[in-house]
Amino acid sequence: MKLVKIDKKQWAEGLESLKKSFRLLGPVKEDSYYSFKALKEGEQPDFSFLNTRLSPKSLLFPQSEAIVEYSLDERDEDHHVMKAIETDDSPRAVLGIRPCDAKAVTLVNLNFDTSEYKDPYWVKALAATTFIGLACDTPKSTCFCTSVGCGPYHEEGLDLLLADEGETYLVKILTEKGGNFLSTAGLEAVDEDTTLFDAKKKAAEAKIISTIATDNLKGQDILDLHEAPFWEDISFACLNCGTCTYTCPTCWCFDLQDEIHGKSGKRFKNWDSCMFPLFTLHTTGHNPRGTKLQRVRQRFMHKLKYFVDKYDQGIMCVGCGRCVNQCPVNIDIRKVCALMNDHKVDEQACAVQE
Amino acid sequence: MNLMEHMGIESDRIHFSWISSAESTKFVKVVKEVTEKVKALGPQQHFKKNDAKVA
Amino acid sequence: MLDYIDKIKEISERLLKDCSVEMVIGFRKGTLPMMNEPCFARTPEDVGQFVWDSNCGINLANYLTDRKERIGIVAKGCDTRNIATHIIENKISREQLVVIGVPCKGMIDKHKIATLFADEIQTVTENGEKILVTAGGKETPLNKSDVLQKNCAVCTHRNPVFYDELAAEKVEEQQDVDRYADVQEIEAMDTQEKWDYFESLLSPCIRCYACKNACPLCYCPTCFVDEAKPQWVGKGQDPTDVRTFHFLRAFHCAGRCTDCGACERACPVGINMRVFTKKLEKDCFEQFGWEAGMSLDERPPLDTYRPNDPNDFIK
Ligand code: SF4
Ligand code: SF4
Ligand code: SF4
Ligand code: SF4
Repeated sequence: MKLVKIDKKQWAEGLESLKKSFRLLGPVKEDSYYSFKALKEGEQPDFSFLNTRLSPKSLLFPQSEAIVEYSLDERDEDHHVMKAIETDDSPRAVLGIRPCDAKAVTLVNLNFDTSEYKDPYWVKALAATTFIGLACDTPKSTCFCTSVGCGPYHEEGLDLLLADEGETYLVKILTEKGGNFLSTAGLEAVDEDTTLFDAKKKAAEAKIISTIATDNLKGQDILDLHEAPFWEDISFACLNCGTCTYTCPTCWCFDLQDEIHGKSGKRFKNWDSCMFPLFTLHTTGHNPRGTKLQRVRQRFMHKLKYFVDKYDQGIMCVGCGRCVNQCPVNIDIRKVCALMNDHKVDEQACAVQE
Repeated sequence: MNLMEHMGIESDRIHFSWISSAESTKFVKVVKEVTEKVKALGPQQHFKKNDAKVA
Repeated sequence: MLDYIDKIKEISERLLKDCSVEMVIGFRKGTLPMMNEPCFARTPEDVGQFVWDSNCGINLANYLTDRKERIGIVAKGCDTRNIATHIIENKISREQLVVIGVPCKGMIDKHKIATLFADEIQTVTENGEKILVTAGGKETPLNKSDVLQKNCAVCTHRNPVFYDELAAEKVEEQQDVDRYADVQEIEAMDTQEKWDYFESLLSPCIRCYACKNACPLCYCPTCFVDEAKPQWVGKGQDPTDVRTFHFLRAFHCAGRCTDCGACERACPVGINMRVFTKKLEKDCFEQFGWEAGMSLDERPPLDTYRPNDPNDFIK
């Protein structure tokens, strides 16, 4: 792990020359919001954003992705055979990903890359990507990353971490991939000692004003939480839209859809959401999560309990605050987490006569 | 129909007519008109999906 | 409008105490500036959480669908019109409801206000016609009339159209507003311009369905977008499918939409999809003299026939 300093002008030139060997993806401003886009010739990433409206998970796990194709024309030799759609696995780099979003990639990876199953589309895209993080010196009031095993200078999932320092970037080289990226760019890196970097990190962490407690979640009984009295109150306002899950960098659920035109078909992988009634609808017509309350409970139980119990890596949330900011009816995971964490079973109420 | 037009579908593509089974001449006239108008516009480019775009 | 809350609380408490209702639906303070959360009170104590200010833009009629209880509901002008529509469409019965009418002075547009400031907004408070925004440590006063939700700026039914209790004196209705200027702007475009306008309008849509789910009219047990047999519309991000969703949804709201603005308010990416529904709202008004939800006794134009209905589109 090494810390270097790079002049911003050189950095910009380096990026331009890198475009020959890398696909560069970075934040760009569109109307009043930012999103991650492929950078065109001469286009530089805009690092003045606080948080992109949608998370960069779509760069590895697009909202809609064609995965296999097939022909239904019996005259074709290989009709009815599913063929993988060619993907572009050339090297790419995500510039300016926030530390929370980078940590989120490592969480989603727990699901898409296991010893038993591997999602080839995700795995290949991940291997081809270099992650260049941008530390957050002015976090939003809704950021609570430091409470959830992350932080404004968190390094997990990153190959390089950039901290903005006037005319220069302080760059922490975290992996070999990151080092390669710098050398391919032909960037002149001056060694730097860590005093300033560490001070900036401390200052940024102190600016995170929103916190949550998760310490009791693991110890809570699943069924007690499931039966807790607060779900009706929490779920009442919910619209069961896809906003929270679609904007969340850690939500990984998808649905498969076939689309056929004439005699040729494609299979798509589309984001899905546990908030949608269709999510668990059985072909029999039965829906185990047929009500709003059940769906809202599922979202929070998955993130704050099932995930905790299954992976023992904290909660399935990196504290980016997107769902908090964008939920149309202000359902706030911080509030729900507090209720779940502090939940105590009312012993008297539960004195059921056996 | 107004909404279709409002959204950018040419109004000449959408026709409504009331023709009784006894009005054969009106039927011929309307069909002719419709085909002429649609032909003049050429093939429909909007609201047509060949291969789904992904994002 | 801030002063309404005492009366709202007083009425709600009374209704719960004397058991005229089992629950009252209202708003509570949100955790972010310009956000309130729809909530319910089942006991007089629960009523304490209720608030009323210019951030109550979500349409509470949406929370009545198929409920079985006796309910008190806090309702603005537009909410009462959607409640009327719900009653006409048998989604709730009049006898179940105690409507606590709120004469409304308009809701503020959180998307618009957010775009006025480069920094994150810390607090937003209001005092009559003034909205005070703190962003980046600096206070900026705004005129409420400049930052109203678009639909509120041209609303001509601010007072509840029917009610059992009233939270305040009725307000003066806005006169001389140009209700359809936005629709006319689009109507003036040529075909290609129209197509392009909607193409760019919808390009940020992520199909989260917050718009349809925030709308009291969209209560079908299975929405056409979710139907599988037949499947009416693709489920991915193809622009044709995205547009089909918006366009068909708008048709389903014809003669029913009150232009309450809940759909636009709910959209996380700030799309004004009301330009679809509003076109139909305008047509209903111009062709049938119809405004949805103004009465409990009149049937909507799409399920009535009058010999003099305009039909010059039939050739
Ligand atoms: S749950 Fe909400 S705050 Fe947590 S990572 Fe997802 S969007 Fe961000
Ligand atoms: S919690 Fe909010 S964003 Fe999530 S589904 Fe419910 S209304 Fe939509
Ligand atoms: S379509 Fe929009 S404006 Fe119309 S009633 Fe529904 S939510 Fe309100
Ligand atoms: S709320 Fe906005 S983003 Fe969501 S489906 Fe509607 S228009 Fe699209």
